[in-house]
Amino acid sequence: MSELAIYFDSSKCTACRGCQAACKVWNELPSPIGLNAGKDTFAGTYQNPPDINPDTRLIMTFKEREREGSYGVDWAFGRRSCMHCTDAACVEVCPSGCLFHDPNGTGFVIYDAEKCIGCQYCRSACPFDVPRHTGVGIEGAGIKLNKCTACIDRVRHDRQPACVTTCQQDALQFGDRDEMLQKAHERVEWLHERGYADASVYGENEMDGLHVINVLKYDISMYDELPENPKKSPLVDVMSVVGKPLGAVAVVGIIGGLGLTYALGHGYHRDTQYYDEKNHDQIDVDKNVLVKHIDKEAGER
Amino acid sequence: MAAKNSSGKKSGEYKGFMGEIYAEPEIDGTPMQPGRTYPTRLIKRHSLKTRITHDVVAISCLWLMVSGAFVFFPPLAHAFPAATQFFRMSHRVMGAIFIIIPLLSAITSPKGFVEFWKKYLVKWTPEDKEFMKKFVFYMLGAKKVHMPDQDEVKSGQRFADGMLILSAVLIAVSGVVLWLGTSVWHAGATALLVMRLIHDICFLLFVVFGLAHIYLGAGIFEPYKGTSRLMFGDGKVPESDALYHWGFWAREQIEKGNVEEVQK
Repeated sequence: MSELAIYFDSSKCTACRGCQAACKVWNELPSPIGLNAGKDTFAGTYQNPPDINPDTRLIMTFKEREREGSYGVDWAFGRRSCMHCTDAACVEVCPSGCLFHDPNGTGFVIYDAEKCIGCQYCRSACPFDVPRHTGVGIEGAGIKLNKCTACIDRVRHDRQPACVTTCQQDALQFGDRDEMLQKAHERVEWLHERGYADASVYGENEMDGLHVINVLKYDISMYDELPENPKKSPLVDVMSVVGKPLGAVAVVGIIGGLGLTYALGHGYHRDTQYYDEKNHDQIDVDKNVLVKHIDKEAGER
Repeated sequence: MAAKNSSGKKSGEYKGFMGEIYAEPEIDGTPMQPGRTYPTRLIKRHSLKTRITHDVVAISCLWLMVSGAFVFFPPLAHAFPAATQFFRMSHRVMGAIFIIIPLLSAITSPKGFVEFWKKYLVKWTPEDKEFMKKFVFYMLGAKKVHMPDQDEVKSGQRFADGMLILSAVLIAVSGVVLWLGTSVWHAGATALLVMRLIHDICFLLFVVFGLAHIYLGAGIFEPYKGTSRLMFGDGKVPESDALYHWGFWAREQIEKGNVEEVQK
């Protein structure tokens, strides 16, 4: 299968959040009820919930600012979910084989929750801070990863991800990654022609290529969920060296070294010693001879 | 007395592993009174509390290394996913024991704790330095290489135990952040990465110094035979072994009368 991608056009999105609901429905994720309204609880944004969480794999983000040189506001809608990186740091640090790239070559980062051991290393490595975990508790049992899989179970049956199917504005589309990229560039050009000079494509080269291609209507500062130049932490690479080659050298080195000293020291024998504390004589008991006399007056001990 | 043999080499000298020359320790050799017998004596080295603290920490440490290996070496986790869940949970229980027991021990015996540190933070004697220089050669040729007398804790022991203590403190702190920072509070991504790197490096230090510690401390290395009794037995050391390992300390203890005759 060729590489696939989810296409998101922020200039078409009306922030209806049908995709958020569709994601919940298809993936059977609970939707706890919380208030984001009223004098004391309204957070000043329609973004709800405030961030992705262990039960919410996808949210629409809202950001607004006064429009420069004109009336009104710029109101940016963004899509926050797994970006499905080619150079996925989460896959690199996952110790249990839970996270992996789709073996069918779609490029999507998927996982086997059965294998998740709840270490949450993926969360610490993700430049987009995406992986979330259910069942987090002090005892550490039953913690499981929960994140977008691009509805791989649908994709494998030639269906589109749930979020894409529900989008009425065609802001979300799905298909061959190259086609989605071409579509994104055409759309950005169209936006440029209409005065949106800061419009851009996000996802073409970030992390060696994302499998979510964003068309950003405004400059990137309007999309807090998208770092301008996402990078894998150098610590992730350092850890790969410490974990594998250095670990192997340490284990083989110490066992080999100790094994050698064992072989060379095999059959060792020494005579029994006795210390005559009155005369300060150390004596070889087996041979009944003086080993050394401790000259206390000379400061020996 | 060192006499020259035909090769021109003094008979009391021997070549070390790297070709370096060492002098045999001078043995007086004066015969003692014929038929003289010597009692077998024991010197007390570790209290019951020290031994219990050490042994609980040692067992928890071994368990932590095995259970941690399932996260450290991905192929193990791949092969046994169910066992990995179990080991991961047990890692937390054992981690708590690993931290709490030595703290409890230190709090309930503050004097012993201070004494413990005093043994480690001592000035290095010339014999200490000689011991360190000869250590590798000794390990490869214990039958020939003779070590200088040592105080209560050998210089090599102070170094190796020091590495274990340092690793233990760092692995405990990073472990607590990795554990509670992903459950009780929400530690930042970089904090978690740094803590994990520290945890990984300390684990490797534990592999190296821990295995060496077990090898010598459990007396697997033949010249160290019998040392397991010090922590896993009654905490006593036969006089002969004490004179071999910690000459200065052993003679001092015997002179002070801190010695117990077990056989005439």
